[in-house]
Amino acid sequence: MDELTREFLIESQEGLDRMERCLTDLESRPEDTALLAEIFRSVHTIKGTTGFLGFKRLEKLAHAGENLLGLLRDGKLTAEQHIITGLLSLLDGLRSILRTVESDGGEGEGNDAALIARLEELQKVEVQKADSRQDKLRQTAATPDEADDASALTSAKVQNPLLMMLAKEKAEAQKSAAIVPAAQSASIATIEAEKTVSMAGTASSSAAESTLRVDVALLNQMMNLVGELVLTRNQVLQATASDPKMTLLSRRLDMVTADLRESVMKARMQPVSNIFSKMPRIVRDISQLLGRKVRLEMDGQETELDKSLLEAIKDPLTHAVRNSLDHGIEPPAIRAAAGKNPEGTLKLRAAQEGSHVLIEVTDDGAGIAADKVRAKAIERGLITAEAAAMLPERELLNLIFLPGFSTAAAITSVSGRGVGMDVVKTNVEKIGGKVEIESRVGKGTTLRLRIPLTLAIIPALIVRSLEQSFAVPQGALSELVHLTAAQAAKDIEWMDDAPLYRLRGQLLPLIFLDRMLTAGKGGRELEGRDIFVAVLDADGRRYGLIIDGLADPEEIVVKPLSAVLKDIGLYSGATVLGNGDLALILDPGAIAARAGVTARAEEDAAAIDADALEAEESHENEFLLVEVAGRRAAVKLGDVLRIEQVPVSRIEYAGLRPVLHFDGQLLPVEDAGGLLAAAHDEMQVIIVVCRDASRQVGVAVSNVLDVAAGSDLFEAGTSAPSAGVTLLKDRVTNIVYLGSVAELPMIDQTTEPWHTAVENA
Amino acid sequence: MSTAPRAILTQSRDAVPEVVEVCSIRIGDGLYGLPISHILEIVGGAKPETVPLAPDFVGGLVHYRGDVLTTVNARKLLGLPPLEGKASDLLVVEGTNGCFGLIVDSVREVLKVSREDFEPNPSTVHERTKGLLAGAYKLKEKLMVMLDPQRIDPLELAKAS
Repeated sequence: MDELTREFLIESQEGLDRMERCLTDLESRPEDTALLAEIFRSVHTIKGTTGFLGFKRLEKLAHAGENLLGLLRDGKLTAEQHIITGLLSLLDGLRSILRTVESDGGEGEGNDAALIARLEELQKVEVQKADSRQDKLRQTAATPDEADDASALTSAKVQNPLLMMLAKEKAEAQKSAAIVPAAQSASIATIEAEKTVSMAGTASSSAAESTLRVDVALLNQMMNLVGELVLTRNQVLQATASDPKMTLLSRRLDMVTADLRESVMKARMQPVSNIFSKMPRIVRDISQLLGRKVRLEMDGQETELDKSLLEAIKDPLTHAVRNSLDHGIEPPAIRAAAGKNPEGTLKLRAAQEGSHVLIEVTDDGAGIAADKVRAKAIERGLITAEAAAMLPERELLNLIFLPGFSTAAAITSVSGRGVGMDVVKTNVEKIGGKVEIESRVGKGTTLRLRIPLTLAIIPALIVRSLEQSFAVPQGALSELVHLTAAQAAKDIEWMDDAPLYRLRGQLLPLIFLDRMLTAGKGGRELEGRDIFVAVLDADGRRYGLIIDGLADPEEIVVKPLSAVLKDIGLYSGATVLGNGDLALILDPGAIAARAGVTARAEEDAAAIDADALEAEESHENEFLLVEVAGRRAAVKLGDVLRIEQVPVSRIEYAGLRPVLHFDGQLLPVEDAGGLLAAAHDEMQVIIVVCRDASRQVGVAVSNVLDVAAGSDLFEAGTSAPSAGVTLLKDRVTNIVYLGSVAELPMIDQTTEPWHTAVENA
Repeated sequence: MSTAPRAILTQSRDAVPEVVEVCSIRIGDGLYGLPISHILEIVGGAKPETVPLAPDFVGGLVHYRGDVLTTVNARKLLGLPPLEGKASDLLVVEGTNGCFGLIVDSVREVLKVSREDFEPNPSTVHERTKGLLAGAYKLKEKLMVMLDPQRIDPLELAKAS
């Protein structure tokens, strides 16, 4: 395929995407001339370019559509629903021809006569009703190449007098230059029109000029190479950590690599609107088909997600939307009878939450009845009646994700073919995401897709077991507990064969990683050494993974495993660590499943009724309770990244400021309690590493006591909330203010000779 | 004749050069060979990372040019005891399902052998190992037993077991 045709295809597809968006908008705003002009322009551009390229079939179809659009744009017709349906089928027709062109290079043999006739029919129906003045105008529309361009310009930017003049001139010029082939002059007109618009200073077209189309394969390759660079950087940092001469260079390498990685990732990011914009059409088509009345609300369309992930969630999201329309939102009559607004609401919301993007599909439909789910699952043989009776309500809802589950009473063309939510779940989990469902009978259902921002690089904690390193994704890790040999012997309790640990009063099932990986049973005897319990949360399944030791947290580059090793089922990949060792990436969900850990029972009915908002709020109010030189203080839990125990000798001083150096990064340490000054070299000190805006700071503490929810305190008399203190475990506790930790001098503010040399190179 | 030596037999009937280049490998006391056309690289002193719960024949994972390769331990495959305390060599083999590693005791020189010296698997070879072997070349001093690169692919081994 030649360059020109490829350009044409990309441009036309973009034009049609725009047209689709406009058409669905048009339904709610049929009088909007700007929308009509946009649609007209898309079709017109296609028609114009096909003339050059000799695609007769496309040209004919586009021409028929253009005639109809011309009438609409000039206000001779109103965009009623049947006309929009006709235009949508025109859109589909054009798309299918473009697809054929893309795959075969030709337009194919299809016959569009029926569609063209229908488009003409739509014009005539109105013309019969129309008065003679309109009839005259229809004659003008029959020779659209001259008239339409001029009017396209006038109607598109009527408010712009400059353009008005230009349009008049254009119309004049075209009349005189009748020898020029019609199609050619048409497309020149459009191009010129666009130029004028951009000269007039429209922001959108200047943005288009500064962008560039890049092959996704190239971006993928860049991403791989950056992954390799991150790996090499990690190795360089570890190898040069002890060499002071290299410190500056390796820090620079570290920064450049981090920036480069971020830029490449950004280049792969696309706004969620790319898939959200397909939804109005889908919702419109399906709700008409099923006789529902649905209003679609979309929020957070600017949220960005990696291109490959966006592709991957397109189908699951479409499926979820269909499901909501088919099973969720009831027909208008039933809604009215239930005292609801006959028009249902479907909300699509996207938002970034830390290293994840959250996409929610919420409907205010009938909700999912847990009893029905239970009955259906038993009927389908997906679960035994005894097992179903044991399940808490929250787990029951998750049964709809099992393959072969479908609660729709009748099979419709939309959904209910036995493939359903399991496809959504598997597709989302394939890319490392999670699916959650929440439903209240009569109120509606929310399906939540939690998608990682990127696939390739994830933060992980490296743990040791069986003399080997393993990586645990940070996303699943909630806390770490260190138990000395004596504590382990005392605190690990047993119920039959199951080891348990009391974590702040709640029983936490424990899994010995080494025993699981050697398929060894092992009795109650522990080997009498210190152990760590990594408290993991995989899809609501909480458990403690017992490991022998901890290494540093690292950003790891995920490498896929061969099918043979994937089949083991406990590993989600492998990675090369900074020291060059390989580590297997543990799959917390699979480990829980293998050990038979299920979601917590205490989070059943009560948790379902609790609003998600409340849960978020209470998280806001959680604090890490620490002890600093005999006094209690609190650090906002949301700010805490990790807790490190280091020998005091590792604390160095930049001027008078205590700093901690690891992996080539400097961490300013806040020592309000004077712990460091009072400490001897061999002593261990606990550093709570916190996030303060974009930087990280460490807080030296003597002890970490607990995690607890704080309550606000109010000044007596004024009732004004007091800042800086909270009520924690019935005691007034100071909150550590991270902003007060002074900033480190930045490298860019100093002028090292090598620095400038690198810049000039 | 069984299906095992098919690859080499069919090749010999076609217009393939009479002399083939084979990388000779030492595994235990035996001399084995692998056509160099299937070998991407030879890496000395490889230390594969063990994968708990992996099938027996898997020799672990190695890092190779940005990818993580699954390796096959030739000793385990041939039913030999593990090599204690000595470094092994790694052959990066190009299989039909992508690359994999083959851990052997040591890699020896590349030999040019003549088709005339080739013999298919004799019927008396143990059934279990027969599937992995693709005949042998009669060298002057010793037999060089050919490994079948298709059959020792970890995916194929997993299917067979």
